[in-house]
Amino acid sequence: MGAIATIANRDLKSFFVSFKGSVTFCFLLLLMGIFFRSFAATFLEIQAQTLQTGGEAPKLSQLLTAIFQNLHFILLFIVPAITMSSFAEERKTQVDRLLQTAPISNIQIVMGKFFASAGVLGLVLMASIVYPLFLFKYGNPEIGPIVTSYLGIFLLMCAQVAFGIWVSSMVSHQFLAYLFTSFGLFLLLILAWVAPNISGGGASEEFVKYLAATPHLDNFFAGLISVADLGYFFAFIGLFLFFTNVAVDAKRWS
Amino acid sequence: MIEVVGLQKSFGNTVALSDISFKVAKGQIVGFLGANGAGKTTTMDILCGCIGADAGTAKIAGFEISEDPIEVKRKIGYLPDEPPLHREMQVGEFLSYAGKLHGLRGDRLTVRVADLIERLELGSNKKRLIGQLSKGYRQRVGLAQALIHDPEVLILDEPTEGLDPHQILQIREMIRGLKGHHTILFSSHILSEVESVCDQLIIVDKGKVVEQGTHNELILRLDGAQEYHVRVRQGALALAEELKTDFGQLSRVTVKEDEQLVSFMSKEGDEILDLVARRVLDRGYGLKELAGKSKKLEDVFFQITR
Repeated sequence: MGAIATIANRDLKSFFVSFKGSVTFCFLLLLMGIFFRSFAATFLEIQAQTLQTGGEAPKLSQLLTAIFQNLHFILLFIVPAITMSSFAEERKTQVDRLLQTAPISNIQIVMGKFFASAGVLGLVLMASIVYPLFLFKYGNPEIGPIVTSYLGIFLLMCAQVAFGIWVSSMVSHQFLAYLFTSFGLFLLLILAWVAPNISGGGASEEFVKYLAATPHLDNFFAGLISVADLGYFFAFIGLFLFFTNVAVDAKRWS
Repeated sequence: MIEVVGLQKSFGNTVALSDISFKVAKGQIVGFLGANGAGKTTTMDILCGCIGADAGTAKIAGFEISEDPIEVKRKIGYLPDEPPLHREMQVGEFLSYAGKLHGLRGDRLTVRVADLIERLELGSNKKRLIGQLSKGYRQRVGLAQALIHDPEVLILDEPTEGLDPHQILQIREMIRGLKGHHTILFSSHILSEVESVCDQLIIVDKGKVVEQGTHNELILRLDGAQEYHVRVRQGALALAEELKTDFGQLSRVTVKEDEQLVSFMSKEGDEILDLVARRVLDRGYGLKELAGKSKKLEDVFFQITR
């Protein structure tokens, strides 16, 4: 555990030392702020209209879905920027030999890199907590869906990070890692929408839909935590960390 | 301390190592000598666990690298040809990080980092970013990270490559200072460097160990022929002709007429000097100088790898 924390801590600090890291962090935080501001304003407008004209008032889960689904799209460009250098850059500059010659296992290296990238995104989410606090200024929203939405989006980020560091462990240039990760995450995003077209319907369509991350977030945005959704994210993370471990080990023999 | 038997490694169709076997005793500084592409770095990478061998075994302090990689890595400090340094980190901070990777914590880590900073004269650069240091100082930081856990075995891959002459001397002095406490495997393609620093030599060529021993052992084993030269006051050309025709036991007789100098090789030991001296005096060439020339490592290296 000590080596994992040492690697994660160094990579996390290193991320914020770089211009790229600070800009990425601020950019994501700013975008989250813009989403909260604009969707919350629209939400309040519609709420005021329904009070005057009658009808069903918008739900908090709809607001959270709108905010976080848009954030999901932005993450396609942010997560690869965070994970691309995990392995690819160190391999290119041969700094990876520092870890390779230390008395630690490959899985400790992989976990350290994973926690560093997940930590960056976790810090963005922590900093963004100030935005939902504004919701309390304008009303008395339920805290449960906000907390579960944050949990859901963090699990999504972790799954994307696991995928991103796997790609980074496979290629030797961080720009390629960025491109392949963005493309892969985009496929995962649209899988649920294109499932009816790429499968013959029935069980195979359901399976392809299950692979997509988007449907697994809906429950979290509605304030529910289901074992099936947690299982999906943990299995996804575990699988891609395992792939990364295999890829790192395979590099010794290539 | 290091025992390597039959290491083989290929990258695709390219054979990098075809048969590497050698032993290094505890406390020695051993030079790993070979031309570029001979297989030095590949062997060192295998010994440190960076890459795996296709066949063969490598034991460090009794531990086999493929069976106990973690234990072997505890025993080894490695300075690759390109030091693995995080340029955005400060020197002290980086050494603490390297120490933590090797399991050092608390006071033990603090004392070790301070000791290395003092020994490698990095004190004035402790707070500077590694990326801002000169190549010589970066090499010192690389050496410090290799020494951070006080390893029994130190593997240095061309540690003076790219340094200026002053820095080369400093790094060599530092390596000599580590002798005794650490077993050192030191690769280089600079022959004079290996000759001046190392106790033993291992010469590799085309992925094979072609010779191993001390400088003198290699010279004796390879070719008993010793080079001599005789300087006369006059008639060097005629003397050379006489030596060629009358002394069948001599080989490679050459002459520099402007210096009145005749050089030749002989396998018969120093007794040949008596015969040559007598001939010079009898024919009145005027003997100015007659001496045996010691064989250089360069001669041995080129003879082996030719």
